[in-house]
Amino acid sequence: MRTRVIFAIMLSVLFAGGAAKADDLVAGLSTDLIQITSNFTGTDIVLFGAIEPTEDAGPAKDQDLVVVIRGPQVDMTVRRKARILGIWVNRVQTVLTGMPGYYFLASTRPLDDIASLATQQRFRLGTANLESGALGGMKPDETAAFRAAAIRERKREHLYWESPTGIEFLSRTLFRARIAVPASVPPGEYRAEVYLFQNGTVASAQSSPLFIDKSGFERRVYNYAYQASFAYGFAAVLMAFAFGWVGFVLFRER
Amino acid sequence: MEVYLPVAELSVNWAMILSMGAAVGFLSGMFGVGGGFLMTPLLVFYGIPPGIAVATQASHITASSLSGALAQWRRQGVDAKMGLMLLAGGLVGSAGGVYVFRILQELGQIELVVTGSYVLLLGSIGGLMLNESIRAMRAARTGAGPAPAKGGQHSWIHGLPFKVRFRRSKLYISIIPPLILGALVGVLTAIMGVGGGFVMVPAMIYLLRMPTNVVIGTSQFQILFVTAATTVLHATSDQTVDIVLAFLLVVGGVVGVQLGVRVGSQLRGEQLRALLAILVVAVALRLLIGLVTTPNDIYSIVAGTP
Repeated sequence: MRTRVIFAIMLSVLFAGGAAKADDLVAGLSTDLIQITSNFTGTDIVLFGAIEPTEDAGPAKDQDLVVVIRGPQVDMTVRRKARILGIWVNRVQTVLTGMPGYYFLASTRPLDDIASLATQQRFRLGTANLESGALGGMKPDETAAFRAAAIRERKREHLYWESPTGIEFLSRTLFRARIAVPASVPPGEYRAEVYLFQNGTVASAQSSPLFIDKSGFERRVYNYAYQASFAYGFAAVLMAFAFGWVGFVLFRER
Repeated sequence: MEVYLPVAELSVNWAMILSMGAAVGFLSGMFGVGGGFLMTPLLVFYGIPPGIAVATQASHITASSLSGALAQWRRQGVDAKMGLMLLAGGLVGSAGGVYVFRILQELGQIELVVTGSYVLLLGSIGGLMLNESIRAMRAARTGAGPAPAKGGQHSWIHGLPFKVRFRRSKLYISIIPPLILGALVGVLTAIMGVGGGFVMVPAMIYLLRMPTNVVIGTSQFQILFVTAATTVLHATSDQTVDIVLAFLLVVGGVVGVQLGVRVGSQLRGEQLRALLAILVVAVALRLLIGLVTTPNDIYSIVAGTP
């Protein structure tokens, strides 16, 4: 959370001065609030925007766009199995901290063609450059293997997504990116970031919030489960009793 | 067809979950086992996180067991006295099991221990039952009399003190074996997330030598309370009970269990035991294959810190 605030400030400081010379970037999300209702099976949102050339922008440049959606930070426990006496057993484990619960990246070209590795790392672009820590004294290259495994798994679940051609130009200046949000997405505060690259450097950037929240019933159930957990557990048992009894009565032989 | 589970934080096909509840409930009613040993792997296979699957399906067992136990009660198939003895042991055992569970969880070995104990227990019990029921069926076919009379046998169990008469079971035995059996099953309940019927039923038949007609009802009677306690325990200690998922499983389960009881009462005891044995052995084999085959990804990821 804190790093994100610092990051946002850093961005605004970086581009407040330079914005006059660069093309202006305008972008918005089709929605800034996703409500998780009882029939929620995931959803698609659209990020759309335009690059507005300024008068003193000069000749046509090598322009690229990158769109990133970052979910709330979460911890993950990653374990590695080894074969012992023919049986696969968890041998080594580590906890990755500060991993995004959701990460989506779309760009106009593969990232490596757009910017240097240093730039990618600075702006945390691409799942290879995610900011995260690890608990427990493990060698850095070992930790990297665990992080790669976590990213692989999250990609399988469609919670991490990288699409090097995911940005579609509707005209010379108008663009859009379709963002798939799976049902298992963690609720919380998200950020949608758009970067305009010119000749390998960030010329303009924009960041806007996106909230994913459970709606009425779903949120109430979740809150009960955590805040009134004894009553919640008791309610689950009562429900089981009630249905068990109803089942008995309905099917009783007469 | 999709419904969102607020605690599990994912969406499932409700018709699918309903049918899973019904199918497991059917087997549960037929055999007098809770069905946890089938439901947990099914739910995990479907994509429900293991913690949620273990805790939530306890409600399904509670409901199925209540319907089943009530139906058995009407046909005088419940030995309440024996059930209470088993329950007393069970509550002590599950408290100890919860403690062991927490240690294993911190070590990251809970998955291995759970699967390993499934394979060992299901494999050995299933094998024994299969062997016994085949012999019983063969004996019945050749027209020979039933297996040697049980009444005359006096094992070490009959030498223990604190004897009590269990009228429904037609037994006069010490209360120590039921208490210990209950405690052992209680440990299994906490660690393996099962009601323990698949251990309880054969143990009641072969160790306590209870008549088959009261075994199922008494097992359901005991499981009902142990799983109710487990649900509350999980809800308060780790918030892994998803009431929407529980609702779907319960509704499917109560329908299934009634049909199962009906079909089960049509079958003969040894046929029933042979079918259960085949089912148990099959699950054990499936889990064993999972333990020894090379996983697709040797890394596994769990949300949060252990």
